[in-house]
Amino acid sequence: MTLILAVPSKGRLQENANDYFARAGLDIVQGRGARDYRGAIAGLEGVEVAFLSASEIVGQLAAGAAHLGVTGEDLVREHVPDAETRLALLTPLGFGRANVVVAAPQSWIDVRNMADLEDVAAHFRARRGERMRVATKYVNLTRRFFNEHGVTDYRIVESLGATEGAPAAGSAELIVDITTTGATLSANALKIVEDGVILRSEANLVASLKADWSPEVRKTARAILSRLAASEKARRTREVRAFLPAAAKGAVAEAATKFDAHAAPGEDGGSVSFLCPRGRAAELADWLLAKGAERVGVATLEQVFEVPNPLYDALSGKIGANP
Amino acid sequence: MGKTSTAPRAAGERALAFFARAGFARVEPPILQPTAPFLDMSGEDLRGRLFLTSGPDGAELCLRPDYTIPVCLAHLGASPAAKETRYSYLGPVFRAPGEFWQTGLESFGRRDIEAADAEILALALEGAEAAGSGPLKVRFGDARLFDEVIGALKLPAYWRRRVRRGLARGAPLSQVLAKSGLTPFSKAGVLAALERSDHDGAKALVQDLLSIAGISTVGGRSPEEIADRFLEQAASRADEGLAPEQTQALQNFLAVEGHPDRAAEALKALARDSVLDISKALCSFEERVGFLAARGLPVDDLSYSAAFVRDLDYYTGFVFEAGTGHGPPVVVGGRYDGLAAKLGAAEATPAIGAAIWLDRLPEAAP
Repeated sequence: MTLILAVPSKGRLQENANDYFARAGLDIVQGRGARDYRGAIAGLEGVEVAFLSASEIVGQLAAGAAHLGVTGEDLVREHVPDAETRLALLTPLGFGRANVVVAAPQSWIDVRNMADLEDVAAHFRARRGERMRVATKYVNLTRRFFNEHGVTDYRIVESLGATEGAPAAGSAELIVDITTTGATLSANALKIVEDGVILRSEANLVASLKADWSPEVRKTARAILSRLAASEKARRTREVRAFLPAAAKGAVAEAATKFDAHAAPGEDGGSVSFLCPRGRAAELADWLLAKGAERVGVATLEQVFEVPNPLYDALSGKIGANP
Repeated sequence: MGKTSTAPRAAGERALAFFARAGFARVEPPILQPTAPFLDMSGEDLRGRLFLTSGPDGAELCLRPDYTIPVCLAHLGASPAAKETRYSYLGPVFRAPGEFWQTGLESFGRRDIEAADAEILALALEGAEAAGSGPLKVRFGDARLFDEVIGALKLPAYWRRRVRRGLARGAPLSQVLAKSGLTPFSKAGVLAALERSDHDGAKALVQDLLSIAGISTVGGRSPEEIADRFLEQAASRADEGLAPEQTQALQNFLAVEGHPDRAAEALKALARDSVLDISKALCSFEERVGFLAARGLPVDDLSYSAAFVRDLDYYTGFVFEAGTGHGPPVVVGGRYDGLAAKLGAAEATPAIGAAIWLDRLPEAAP
């Protein structure tokens, strides 16, 4: 049985996802040409890569038709009402960042926060006999968020593109949309409501809890996730090397505790190397100089494999240890 | 979903036969309905429970989630004259998680409000009995009385809206009256200057502000509406709370519940002590209790609750529900005089109806 890995089929999301896998030594190779929607991972048996749109990926994962995928948290929260039972968000990926926000016309100078908006909605309805209209493609996120803030006097107008233009076009009073810098909103004379950030979204590595996790597929998943975890760990880790004089007795063990580092070979004196959190490498180097080292090298790492595999552990915690 | 039991349907047919004998002719509106009237009336929260689809022309459609709006639309389509009409119905309604059977009745155009209220509740209970409900406990409220009390308290417009909306959503009073999260009026800076200005002055100021800041007006609210809301806030200091005596009166009102006659006494005492002019609604309340007794309903078994109000933009008067005491109510209904006008009728049409949830009858339970 093959593991189905669903990755974005176009745009910056695709580039970023490919880079993310490539950094872990997992090169995604497309079929015969750029138009082929099935691919593989070079040198790894038992994986089929499906190239899909980000929203199709959510659907396939929720239905159990794919095992792992890369997609935005916004789409997960919007399209999968019972996400907790269907999907596991294994890790945020640091790209595809965007916020889902409530944005109102800048000319509504009496509206700063959601409490203002709640009252304006009631005022609007009392005055017009109609509900204020909210243009969005995030129908479910909007409904949940407005409900939490007690906003009831509104109607959703489904919008499938150029949502930010809806107020100017007269098809809605305000919008819920995704934004990265807010520039598009400003250009359309809209402002973000102060406490109106519904979701800070980014691309996530997502696992399906409904897919068939046979022992074979699990083994493949473990291989993929352990490489991804290793490259992630490597990004957050530096190798610090030094030659310590024999007189610096106990310095290695002390350094390990002091700097949250792991030492190898762990003997006092001689050539020693540490794996240390990236942010503390310089501090550790200084400290080693003070202990008598003459020079200290700090190196980046390709991958750091560890016994605990946080990604696979997150997955197996959800799907159970055995099928 | 996937329920094959015929029990709800058979029970519904017994109730329907009873309704027909009482002069309520069966109407069979389409299952497929336009979505907008349901969402306009009930709000977006209903959307999550609707089975939605769309027509070839892109029109938003849904499977009917209840009968009231479809029957009202059929009524408006069939007889443009707002004369007295009585309908009954039987069939499935569709709400997540699935399909449920309902029967019920609707009455349009009766001007003797209190008598019609009593008739519909009595017939609904008798219909439920015919369907096999066994004894039911009735709980009722009065949206008109509720509105009149809130009006008589002379709350600032902001608080009137907030209290109506909050309590209709079922939020506890303490939460409804908790400090408002509105942008404090003092922080609205230059807009505090509006405090002593009139409508035209305020509108001009808002327009000036927008043009100085180079903000173009987009979206449905005009500078005039924004100015009016500022004026309203200035007048009522909406960022401050209610006066203690207003809170107390509201608390006392919401605490009224129990036997209809004793409730009426309590409401009269409240009106006297808090100097509230709610005599019209009180009169209607007592008249209705009289009609209920005259119809042979055991008034001692009815329970009034001042806090029992549902969506106040939908229900405009008598609201009731009856159940076994376990699980959701079997019979639900109420008066919705505003519905026909909102669905396009030329004038307000008195209307009241009740539905029986047939799957909730004891014998229909799986």
